[in-house]
Amino acid sequence: MNGSITLKLNVNGVLHEVATQPWRTLLEVLRENLVLTGTKRSCGEGQCGTCTVLIDGKAINSCLYLAVEAQGKDISTIEGPVETDPMLEKIQQSFVTKGAIQCGFCTPGMIMATKSLLSENPKPNEDEIRTALVGHLCRCTGYVQIVEAIQDAAVQLEHEGEN
Amino acid sequence: MTFLRRLPKFDFVSPNSIAELCSLTAGASNGELMLFAGGTDAVLQLRRREVTPRCVVGLKGVPELDFIEEQPDGSLAIGAMTTLQSLMKSPAVQGHFDVLAETAGQIGGVELRNVATLGGNIAGALPCADLPPPLMTLDAEVKLSGKDGERWVPIDELFAGYGKTVAAKGEVLTEIRVPKPAARSASVYLKYHDRQSMDMTVVGVGASVELDDEGKGFRDIRLAYANGAPTAFRAKKTEEVLRGNEMSEEALQAVAEAAGKEAVPRANSWRADPQYRLTLIRNLTKRAIRSAWEKAVARGEASS
Repeated sequence: MNGSITLKLNVNGVLHEVATQPWRTLLEVLRENLVLTGTKRSCGEGQCGTCTVLIDGKAINSCLYLAVEAQGKDISTIEGPVETDPMLEKIQQSFVTKGAIQCGFCTPGMIMATKSLLSENPKPNEDEIRTALVGHLCRCTGYVQIVEAIQDAAVQLEHEGEN
Repeated sequence: MTFLRRLPKFDFVSPNSIAELCSLTAGASNGELMLFAGGTDAVLQLRRREVTPRCVVGLKGVPELDFIEEQPDGSLAIGAMTTLQSLMKSPAVQGHFDVLAETAGQIGGVELRNVATLGGNIAGALPCADLPPPLMTLDAEVKLSGKDGERWVPIDELFAGYGKTVAAKGEVLTEIRVPKPAARSASVYLKYHDRQSMDMTVVGVGASVELDDEGKGFRDIRLAYANGAPTAFRAKKTEEVLRGNEMSEEALQAVAEAAGKEAVPRANSWRADPQYRLTLIRNLTKRAIRSAWEKAVARGEASS
């Protein structure tokens, strides 16, 4: 079994051809083949949320997803170009201005989860925000600022919509 | 450090239809294939080398396995590849089958629910799976499809042992059918786990109750447990303690004691020892029945 396969993966709007193997997870292919190292690897079992990316707009744990199954889908990562994704830019700004980033390791996952949350629910209350983040651990324990950043992003995006 | 390991090597195939899937499984020998539904548990089993299949059969590309449909008779048909998030958000499920939406919502976080499937939660046949108990209390059946046809199995007869089902070689769980619950009935699923979310169930109790015409007793009651035995199971002897009887604290105490006798928690589980689980089972049984009872009463008041 040498298992070489070529995958066509649409990541952040760019189609990549990747030579890999069927047993590679999406996380491994993003980080090792495409060198998109913004998506982090931590627990490797779907507990911590650092590897969260969006597939067709839905947040998933890329450590539990086979790269081969991501073909034909829209994959979005923290590297998604902010020029074409104003929502991603606003969320990133809010995380910076609200001090929601300490060591930064959980941040890409938190931000992708936020994007998925705000796409479905533009005005979440604190409970809904905390529920959306249950699958994310911040070991600096900066959860208060993270919740504030998401609330701030929601307000900013709402103003954006008014202009 | 095992958690940083890569997955073992395997070939990958992705059938496009149930027919193609069944012709693949029909020719395979034991352990050669692994059916890969959502994969949220399968990836962990692969990473830990608990299974090392020659070939992984991805099911995400079979569109006919992903549906939720209300049937003319009021029952609900659910495809095996329906994600837990779809189950939680479906208006059809939230109506008469609200316990399934509530149970799905108690599993993992949204990242996991977007991928994990109802069929995977059932077919893995693990005692900690949360959806089999409420499905048992709703009298659900599952469809097993094979190359030579299909058959329906009541879900309380599906599990043959820890990680094992009665599915014959080559058979695949493709659909779940849930009959419309009776009027004046309600179901709940309560689970005990250490954190608020993202951890495994220590004990789960599903209870369905149907009130009698006076609203004083149980015309019917069904109880089922996660982690009360090596498989999810329906506690039929325990149900008899309450069926046809009136609601009272004494009756609840009696049913709790009966549940503690009928359950046989695993002795080799590191998560909790059997005595602890039995205590949880006794207490949660009372709480689940009381909660289902109150839900049924509230529903009766709302509709009258």
